[in-house]
Amino acid sequence: MSDVLLTTTVGSFGKPEYLQKARNARARGKLSEAELLELERKATTEWIRAQEEIGLDILVDGEMYRGDMVAYFAERLEGYTIGGLVRSYGNRYYHKPIISGKISRPKPMTVEWFQFTQSLTDRPVKGMLTGPYTMLDWSYLESYKTRRDAALALAEVVRQEAEDLQAAGAKYIQIDEPAIHARPEEIAIAIEAMGVVTQNLTAKTVSHICYGDFAAIYPQVLDLPVDRLSLAMSNYGYRWLDLFERHPYTKELEIGIVDVHKHELESVEEAAAGIRKGLRYVTPEKLLPHPDCGLKTRPPEESIAKCRVVVEAAKLVRKELAAVPA
Amino acid sequence: MKTTVIGAFPKVSDEPSGQQLRTGLHKHDRGEIDDRALDQVYEATTRAAIAELEQAGIDVLNDGQIRWDDLFSPFARAWKNVQRGPLERYYDNNTYFRQPVVSGPIASDGNTVTADLTLARSATQREVKGAVCGPLTFATLCIDEHYRSLEKLTLAVADAVAAEVAGLGKAGCTLVDIEDPAIVVHPQHIELAREAYRRIARAGVPIALQTYFFPADRVLESLASFPVAQVGLDVRSRDTTVLRRLDAIRERTIVLGIVDARNTRLETEREVASLIEEALKLVPQERLWVAPTTGLEYLPHDVATKKLAALVSGARAAGGVPA
Repeated sequence: MSDVLLTTTVGSFGKPEYLQKARNARARGKLSEAELLELERKATTEWIRAQEEIGLDILVDGEMYRGDMVAYFAERLEGYTIGGLVRSYGNRYYHKPIISGKISRPKPMTVEWFQFTQSLTDRPVKGMLTGPYTMLDWSYLESYKTRRDAALALAEVVRQEAEDLQAAGAKYIQIDEPAIHARPEEIAIAIEAMGVVTQNLTAKTVSHICYGDFAAIYPQVLDLPVDRLSLAMSNYGYRWLDLFERHPYTKELEIGIVDVHKHELESVEEAAAGIRKGLRYVTPEKLLPHPDCGLKTRPPEESIAKCRVVVEAAKLVRKELAAVPA
Repeated sequence: MKTTVIGAFPKVSDEPSGQQLRTGLHKHDRGEIDDRALDQVYEATTRAAIAELEQAGIDVLNDGQIRWDDLFSPFARAWKNVQRGPLERYYDNNTYFRQPVVSGPIASDGNTVTADLTLARSATQREVKGAVCGPLTFATLCIDEHYRSLEKLTLAVADAVAAEVAGLGKAGCTLVDIEDPAIVVHPQHIELAREAYRRIARAGVPIALQTYFFPADRVLESLASFPVAQVGLDVRSRDTTVLRRLDAIRERTIVLGIVDARNTRLETEREVASLIEEALKLVPQERLWVAPTTGLEYLPHDVATKKLAALVSGARAAGGVPA
């Protein structure tokens, strides 16, 4: 593992067809939980092998066992109920969860998956959680008086989960906050809640932020108590980097260098240019190239191709850096 | 006082019978049904939405915007030199829209949404209003590759919106909602918006300017002099002083968003009635309409139904309103 420009991904990969079919069958009661679990483990193993083969440095479990990033946790927490179907866009619908009681965590939600995945590889695997502010913002709120009260209650259960992941050996814990800029006026709530989550962590912490007006929360977002931000950049033509020009960026940066919402494959040179842009503001030790966002909406072969571009681009730039005399 | 709705109604429900549009679109994607068959599903879903609004006791209906993927999609598909671009989050919602991409001078034939209006009017005896996207919202959320000026772009969109409003008027429409949340998001552009609405007003059809998601506190007095028949105000999504300042709006009907269309928590009849009673201290009841804060599509269908019931029963229970 090189120690500069470590490559990684944002978390999710596409589910293979046999797993999609199995999930549908499970939903109709035509497959047992144990049978589904076996297929989820098979798919996870395949994705670990694929990530190793591609040459990624920090791996993820690919979230074969999750549907939606909020609903997965909501289904496992006390105080949540799962609501009816709501449209997210086009003809896509999801069951938006409802915070309807007092939030608590009966038992760990992702730790067994982390342990299983880490047992498959010598490379580090990230623990993957959804942050308290996003859990709040992407849920209906019925039971807490204020959004801050609910965010802090959610922070407490995410803290428990993160600490359990760390105890299980996670060196990297990602706590995603893609909704953090939904209401820029509430950035202080998101920061306070994240502080609860990371207060006792020694693992490297990272938070993924995407889809929205990053400029509206910059530079305040630098106060988010995590070591790294993970940002979609390629999709936005790297325009968020201009903000760093005006106010220095102070964290480590996982930088998105390939767009995950278009089929066309970027060239290695194009992706490498993205890394070089990032290097203007962050040192190579603190810059980690990755695709813009989770890859779950892409067919597996496309995801693999996009990740290969990331790895090859990192190799190219590493060579350039090594050529510079010390 | 009248009850009304704004924006889109849920297109599907969790009932097995409520999935027709979703499965119809899947079948259409796979080539299993043709455009005509899909059209029939849209039509049936629109009729069902209208029937439900009518049954709930809503006085002034819309067509439920069943064909709309987002606020811009019908127009981005129909207008000249506009395409549908990348997905982006729609304000503070976990709902996404395709950004319109403007690649040349925008032009509209004015008939983009008239067919649905005609269908809706044939499906009910009640008053049906039309709807078009707001010029400032379109202009601030699209990708502009042509005008390179927010002002020019907004006014060009306003001209296209005016054509749509005129088209709806010709189709028999007597009131058109212009959904323009950007006016309360970007109060600094209020004068540009005013110019845009002057152009839309020339179409000669009464307009309801619908703002939502954000409070209108900073622009309330300006809105009072917009060339529109109605002003829609969301008094539930965030803290706002608007409810205590409603007398700023004179000679225009206020469409008060009093039932939260973005949260499942159900308002009681008394809560709704109290909000109306507070408004009635400042606005005569002939100039007050009440509505959900925005489109009910942000809620699951079953909750949307209950929200309509809360709105109607609260309106009937409010003191000072003839039953």
